[in-house]
Amino acid sequence: MDKVTKDAMPEISPIMEAAGRFITNVGKVIVGKKEAIELVLVALLCEGHVLIEDVPGIGKTMLAKAVAGSLGCTFKRIQSTPDLLPSDITGIHYFNQKTAEFEFRPGPIMTNILLIDEINRATPRTQSCLLECMQEQQVTVDLETLPLPRPFLVIATQNPVELEGTFPLPEAQLDRFLLKIKLGYPSEDEERTILSRFQQENPLDNMASVVKGKELLELQKLCRQVYIEDSIHKYAIAITRATRDYQGIELGASPRASLGLHLASQALAAIRGRNYVIPDDVKYLAVPALAHRLIAKTEARLRGHSLETIVNEVVAAVPVPVEE
Amino acid sequence: MKLDWRQGILYATTIGIEGCWLYAILALLNKQAVDGRLSIIGLLLLYPLAFGINKLLRQLQWHEVYLRVISWLVWAAGMLLILKVQIFGGLAWSDPNWLLALPQAIGQIIYLVFRPELLILVSTAIMWWLGRRLAYQRMSFAASVSEFQFGLVILLITFFVISQLKVNPADSVPITLTFFLFALLGISIAHAQEGTSWLSGMNQGHWAGLLLISVSLILILGLLISSLVTPDLLQLIVTALKWVWGLIWSVILKVMAFIASLFPTSGPAELPPAAPMPELEPTPGANIFTIPEAVENGLRIGWTTLMIGFLVFALWRISSQIFGWLRRKLAGMAGAEYEPLPGAFRADFLGLLKRFFRLLRLRLSFHFRRKPSSMIPEIVSVRQIYRQLLHWVDTRGYPRQTSQTPHEYLYTLVALLPEAHLDLEFITRQYVGARYGASSPTEDELRTLRQSWHRIKRNRLKKHDKERTQKGEGDLNG
Repeated sequence: MDKVTKDAMPEISPIMEAAGRFITNVGKVIVGKKEAIELVLVALLCEGHVLIEDVPGIGKTMLAKAVAGSLGCTFKRIQSTPDLLPSDITGIHYFNQKTAEFEFRPGPIMTNILLIDEINRATPRTQSCLLECMQEQQVTVDLETLPLPRPFLVIATQNPVELEGTFPLPEAQLDRFLLKIKLGYPSEDEERTILSRFQQENPLDNMASVVKGKELLELQKLCRQVYIEDSIHKYAIAITRATRDYQGIELGASPRASLGLHLASQALAAIRGRNYVIPDDVKYLAVPALAHRLIAKTEARLRGHSLETIVNEVVAAVPVPVEE
Repeated sequence: MKLDWRQGILYATTIGIEGCWLYAILALLNKQAVDGRLSIIGLLLLYPLAFGINKLLRQLQWHEVYLRVISWLVWAAGMLLILKVQIFGGLAWSDPNWLLALPQAIGQIIYLVFRPELLILVSTAIMWWLGRRLAYQRMSFAASVSEFQFGLVILLITFFVISQLKVNPADSVPITLTFFLFALLGISIAHAQEGTSWLSGMNQGHWAGLLLISVSLILILGLLISSLVTPDLLQLIVTALKWVWGLIWSVILKVMAFIASLFPTSGPAELPPAAPMPELEPTPGANIFTIPEAVENGLRIGWTTLMIGFLVFALWRISSQIFGWLRRKLAGMAGAEYEPLPGAFRADFLGLLKRFFRLLRLRLSFHFRRKPSSMIPEIVSVRQIYRQLLHWVDTRGYPRQTSQTPHEYLYTLVALLPEAHLDLEFITRQYVGARYGASSPTEDELRTLRQSWHRIKRNRLKKHDKERTQKGEGDLNG
């Protein structure tokens, strides 16, 4: 490591402070699940999108609403149904009879935080209209391209068990989500806390924003300055590339996944109080950042190997850069 | 089955695997070189003895050099006793003459005549080395497969030599069967131990049964094949192969003769009678270029070693290719067990090369000034200390897995040295900061780091080994 590089280390205390405020605030609504909250924050700091997948009643929508409530940003919600149209999301041009002109009425996409509930209930046509928005942060309506407000974060939820009347998300769509988070059932103590907390009132009602939109943009910029040593770069790339050659995987992770893993590692390091990334960050994020982008081979699926297991196997096969 | 039990069985199977090919080599040498005067079983028993003694010596937790010296001194003492019994059996133990004549006798054995004692000397040294090596090795799936692969190559070479020398291979079938039995047992247990296979899944409870069934099946099939494949049948196959080869060779000769006939032949030109050569007297300087006999012998031995090395390498490559092909085939079969093999022969070979180059680098660093590093000296020191820590723990049989991060490896280290957890955490923290974050430690931190490292070295895993011994005894009693 050169001395020059050491002097260029960023001061990450603003990220740590904001992260502390955010996690505490969301924790007022979501009991336990600190890891999930941390991962949502990672996505926020990377300008990435989050897919929350779990069985009904776990708190997916609640988490998304708590995140939105903690940020001083505009928030819109879309409840996905099979009859939802792309124009219901992007907006439409309608004829104003008073002015005798076509006017644009923006859809719910024109917001900072967009919650798409049960995203897999929307048709592929509607799902596809999100591709441009999620990747390029712009929307094209009737040949007119409009920029989306910044910061822009999509939090989508889906239920993995009820498949009737649903449309699995296409690979292109899945690849646009930075992280896929699973919440899991709460422990007994956590469940008791949930009951007592929600007995009197809904904590969401009294939720105050703790991070403003402008501040979030500053933090996003700062986050990108977190130092990644060259060998960690290579390690993250090696993991992504290993998914392409792994025996149980039909389709490996894309370069976008590689970039996502890289950015997410920087954000996680900053949240955890470091201005440099360590291999543990990359390892920790490998499953939430990569698993949803892969397609397992049929035999692997039949043998009951989940994508999470496969990613863990891949990670276990890639050497960590440590002294020899 | 507890981990220590499994390790014990794995050591036993490794001794069994290596014992098989050692037996094959020694039996061949016994027949060809010393007219069957060697006690092969006696020599083989030295292997587990060496393993046990070195395992006990390892408990002392002394410096590696001391342990190595003591180990070889034990071997030398044992050899002296054997030589006394073999060569000076008629002299009393109290008679100092046998001790005085011993160096000359050893000199004669090594340099002048080939005697069974030389074979005993060399083979016991090899047994001792193998036993010591095993005592410091932690058996894993990769190591078991490696032992199998290496043993298979050695057995193939030995059987090839046996067939060339036309020695009666009476023991080859039982040796091969025993070899496969030990190899299968070792590989299966190591496989189950690492918990990466179907044996560790839903069928975990039945693994012992499955293993026994597999071993029995192999044995039954082996015996069946050995009873069906008689020497006459083998002779027939060899004759058929020879006939096919002769046919191919005759075709090749005919083709070559045909190609040669295409070129015009010219009759031998008549040459004038040669002039008589003048007789030259040997010049005094001509003897300078004659190679001394000792050098010639040395070169011959070197050449033979090189050729044998090439042969072993070629066989290893062939067997690796076959293994690779089988593994690729298995990967394509639905439901077949297939997994990455991180170790085996390749890892051994690369490890050997790595050690060699490390040693070379160490030697060269004494002679040449090292290129000045672009890193901050404090960071270099931190990384060096961590490297030493890794090497130190590695030599004690707990190497870092390549996929383990320093923080993950810290759990292993703390489990080994719970009383030094503060020092280990400090070293790991400093290393992570220096390695990945360019965080240079202060003078005080560096001093503390060195003190921590010295404290850990002094600790020498004593407590841990005591606990392990107690736990092992507890398991045995329980």
